[in-house]
Amino acid sequence: MNLFLLLLTATLAAAQTHLTLSISLPPKPNPFLLPSSTHATLSSLHKRLSAPLSAVNTFDFHNVSADSYLLDVHCPTDNFLPLRVDVGAGGEVKAWETYRGNEWGNKGEEVPVRSEGATRSLAVKAAGPKIFFMERAKFSVLSILKNPMILMGLVTMGIVFGMPYLMENMDPELRAEFEERQKESPMNAIMANAQGGQNPLGNFDMAAYLAGSGKKEGVKR
Amino acid sequence: MRRSLQSALLLGLSSLVAAVYKDEVGHIDFHHALVGVPQIETTFFHRPKKDEKASLLYTLSDVGVLGAVNPNTGALVWRQQVAPGVAGRGGHLRAPEGENWVAAAYGQQVQAWAALSGRSVWQTEFDGRVKDLEIMELTESARKDVLALFEEDGVTVLRRLHGALGTVVWEFREVSRDIPLQVSTSVSNVYIISLHGSPSSYSLKVTTLEPATGGRVDHWIVGTKGGVQPEDVMFVGANSAAPILAWTSSDLSTLNVHVLGPKSKQDFVYALPADTVSVDIHAPHLTQSQPHFLVHTRTATGNKAEVFHTNLKTGQITKAYELPLLPGLGAISTSSEGANVYFTRVTEDEVLVVSSESHSILARDSLSPEARVEAVHAVSEVIKKAGGKEFAIRSATVTTSQDWVLIRNGKVDWTRPEGLSGAVAAAWAEIPEAEDLAKVLAEEAHTNPWNAYVHRVTRHIHDLQYLPDYLATIPTRVIESITGGAVVVSKSEGLHRDSFGFNKIAIIATRRGRFYALDTGSHGEIVWAADVFPQAPGAAFDVKGLLVNDAEGTVTVRGSKGEYAVISVTDGRVLETQPGDESTAVSATAIVEREGGKSLLALGQDGRPVDGVSTERPIDQTIVVQEEDDIIKGVKFVSEGGEIVKKEVWQLQLLPGQKIANLAQRPAHDPIASIGRVLGDRSVNYKYLNPNTVVIAAIDSAASSLSVYLLDTVTGQMLTSQNYDGVDGDKDISCTLSENWYACAFFGQYTLNDGSDRDIKGYQIVVTDLYESPSPNDRGPLGDAETFSPLDPVDTPTGVPLPWVVSQSWIVSEPLTNLTVTQTRQGITSRQLLAYLPESHAILGITRHGIDPRRPVGRDPSAAEIEAEGLVRYTPAIFIDGRNLLTHERDIVGVRGIVTTPAIVESTSLLLAYGIDVFGSQIAPSGTFDILDKGFNKVTLLGTVLALTWGVVLLAPMVRRKQINRKWEAFM
Repeated sequence: MNLFLLLLTATLAAAQTHLTLSISLPPKPNPFLLPSSTHATLSSLHKRLSAPLSAVNTFDFHNVSADSYLLDVHCPTDNFLPLRVDVGAGGEVKAWETYRGNEWGNKGEEVPVRSEGATRSLAVKAAGPKIFFMERAKFSVLSILKNPMILMGLVTMGIVFGMPYLMENMDPELRAEFEERQKESPMNAIMANAQGGQNPLGNFDMAAYLAGSGKKEGVKR
Repeated sequence: MRRSLQSALLLGLSSLVAAVYKDEVGHIDFHHALVGVPQIETTFFHRPKKDEKASLLYTLSDVGVLGAVNPNTGALVWRQQVAPGVAGRGGHLRAPEGENWVAAAYGQQVQAWAALSGRSVWQTEFDGRVKDLEIMELTESARKDVLALFEEDGVTVLRRLHGALGTVVWEFREVSRDIPLQVSTSVSNVYIISLHGSPSSYSLKVTTLEPATGGRVDHWIVGTKGGVQPEDVMFVGANSAAPILAWTSSDLSTLNVHVLGPKSKQDFVYALPADTVSVDIHAPHLTQSQPHFLVHTRTATGNKAEVFHTNLKTGQITKAYELPLLPGLGAISTSSEGANVYFTRVTEDEVLVVSSESHSILARDSLSPEARVEAVHAVSEVIKKAGGKEFAIRSATVTTSQDWVLIRNGKVDWTRPEGLSGAVAAAWAEIPEAEDLAKVLAEEAHTNPWNAYVHRVTRHIHDLQYLPDYLATIPTRVIESITGGAVVVSKSEGLHRDSFGFNKIAIIATRRGRFYALDTGSHGEIVWAADVFPQAPGAAFDVKGLLVNDAEGTVTVRGSKGEYAVISVTDGRVLETQPGDESTAVSATAIVEREGGKSLLALGQDGRPVDGVSTERPIDQTIVVQEEDDIIKGVKFVSEGGEIVKKEVWQLQLLPGQKIANLAQRPAHDPIASIGRVLGDRSVNYKYLNPNTVVIAAIDSAASSLSVYLLDTVTGQMLTSQNYDGVDGDKDISCTLSENWYACAFFGQYTLNDGSDRDIKGYQIVVTDLYESPSPNDRGPLGDAETFSPLDPVDTPTGVPLPWVVSQSWIVSEPLTNLTVTQTRQGITSRQLLAYLPESHAILGITRHGIDPRRPVGRDPSAAEIEAEGLVRYTPAIFIDGRNLLTHERDIVGVRGIVTTPAIVESTSLLLAYGIDVFGSQIAPSGTFDILDKGFNKVTLLGTVLALTWGVVLLAPMVRRKQINRKWEAFM
């Protein structure tokens, strides 16, 4: 009886320890191109199992005992989403998406687990390639030209330099009409004022100012 | 998802200052990707593809790394760490002929790896330890299987594993007290060779098994009783037509050879030369090869070889010919092509190839001067060139200087400095300068004015000789500074300092007792290597203290067995040395500061200095000593009646069950730029800055609880402590301490104690800030005091000022080990936490802003907080972005430690990671704010200035003309 019990526990233990967990990779990124240092880990308190990437693009964990594991895939080129894998005492396996920084009970979508003899297979999801380098801000003429201030400046320059040519090439009648209209416009009055006043500094008589004599005095004399 | 996105965003932002630009790769960093020194029995050439001629070089090294190297370039094709951590010698590696996989065994594991890609084919684990591994070349089916010999508590277990699946085909168990040694196969049988008898009188037992079923066929005893020791059995051939078993007498006077097989049961005894130091046997491993073998004997001065033939029918061994005695170590290797067996002999000045048939030399390549290496062992590939009688020979040779050199046709193809692997300690050193201006000026200041004046004038006249050279370099310097973009660190050859302090020497000590110096100015090139403490096979050198004296340009080392040496930093000359002995044991070293500078004090098991010399003067310093793994003591050495007496000032005995997992001390260079931290409301939190503190992480593995203590090393007072439940003591626990904060990383699995009943599981990092008081603008009991002593408390007579602690933890996706903090010259640059990621084989740099315990929880930081403190909202997870990896795409294996040092420019810190690989880099945690980086385009700057000048020159006359015209118009 005792022997039988021993045998039973032994077989039970054997059934437990022979559970193999096979993790497969998604078709994208191309699993055949992943570097050979890619591996997966199952971690829990006082447990850490590691499995290298196999030639058929799986990670095979042998002798997985019952626990609730965190499954991570470590790859030098790509990110993969972590999973929570619960292995029961009877060899039943359940897996969910898990979110780092959230409590362990906060599970996401359940991941289907295929069962085949003592092997349980499930798949992980990819989360995009890893980026290692910063892009340097490159100098380009276009980036300067895109600046609105520069664009405004260019347009103004176009008007300043282009207008006289346009005026010269204009039909004489049209030109007269144009000038006429310009005189009428209220803007012109201001412009004319400014024009008439010339450059205020241009008329400034420095010598007279320094001599302490006003402009008007000079005129009087 | 949103949370992780946020943290990704945060780290993405912080990576703006931490990341590496692609054009900096190879300029600011260097990497020696190593496999370790190859072991003779686990190194070979093998064709990974059956139908292609190209072969790769495979090795399982003495640090437990299985690597495939391209023999043409010396580049690594792939590598796998088959042993956990940095392992010692041992392991087994075999390759089946014509198959695309290799089989390796280490410890309890047997693995098969795809030969070309390095992917796993299968791996299995059994109880017991692997003693030998062999390939069954001939099986009843087309595939090839693996034979693995295990020893399980006195039980000899031989398993035949399916070559493609790794499943057990059959298992042979024998409960006897025999010690299994090796396994061998021939066409018809499997042989187990074991030691039979008691330890004082062993004899060899050969057990024959049926290959198909594993059933026992026969067994017999060979060798005289009491004549054999485990280490004497030196060779067991396998897979050849007539495998042999060879052992020497313990005094190396005779060699016994036994042909395995039922036909002959007698031994061939061969007398070795009188002064033999070592014997090696080389034989082919192919079934179709001729049953010839070579005995290579080394004497103290030279080496010779003899070739023997085995008669397949009678089992008789006859001597065929011998190769003459030549000086030097010499290395011999076997290669076979079909039935032909070639022996390649690497001598001091040439490489010879002979056939096993006759002693005529088939090919002879004289070695070029740089290829004249002292070979310890070699593997060779001899290929008969199509048509003629020419041979192409390439030998991968391990030299006495622990380099792996490929010699092809007498010339060196490549050299791999594999001796650099297995580093146990490293330190940074300044490049000593022959003419140190500061020294000369100090000298002048001490003499009388007239002498000083004469000295200065002569010095200036002397300096004039460099003027023409200097003038000649000006044009090139100007051109370079315009076109070069970034600052070009001067390109002159050899060791030299640079104005930014990027050129330094990294001193590395390896477990093999060798020391290396790497120059960061020339991409980590080896400046010198010195074999200071050569280690016996199986022994490993352990460094307890490594101290660099930059003023004298020396490095002092203390080993665990009392080894002591002073080595010159520039050329590796050993200035002083004292070999270790087994009786002295150095448990720790302490750096003591005296008037003459710093020195290393080696402490024995009892906490007393090992050598009395260093206690001449009393040391006014409390030294922290760790005893056993649960006691920490503060020790002082005081003079009492003309004698130096050790005095224990304080002692911390950990709780029962607790063990010290990590002890973090402040870095030697830890300047503090600001004593306070300005908060968002313009008030100041004063930092708790106590230089005499250590952080101790104590783990209770049974209860899975971690306690982190901050101790005052002067008084032994516990300043603060934290307790974490559910911490895994089997996984790495690492702490570091700097400025007013410390960080610990560990694996935690526990239920939150906030009543929410939430479970947490994952790798964590906890950062703790220390402030003088909880309220801003207040220094607590210290008031306006400029100094304080923990021995005489201020204000409150009952207590010393204790720090105010702010702590926060984060979950990371990977374990962090070897935590270190960057060091900069003045400490103005914000610090960066460095950690090795053993899963990703990379080094992570996290800016302090990312792991700031003051990050607001549950609310967004105010604008003022962002501006003053750079705070970001707390997110519990830290996503490890590729841009935060200082090693970017590089694969750094087996890091054991990280050391940092400041450069001359404030922005930059230098880093060196050592272990199996060696990696060095420059980090600018706050960006290179004091140097122009490569992105700075001088051509654009000059172009813009020129364009503006041109514009002014062009427009000025136009404007002038216009103004004049206007004036004239005004009058009209």
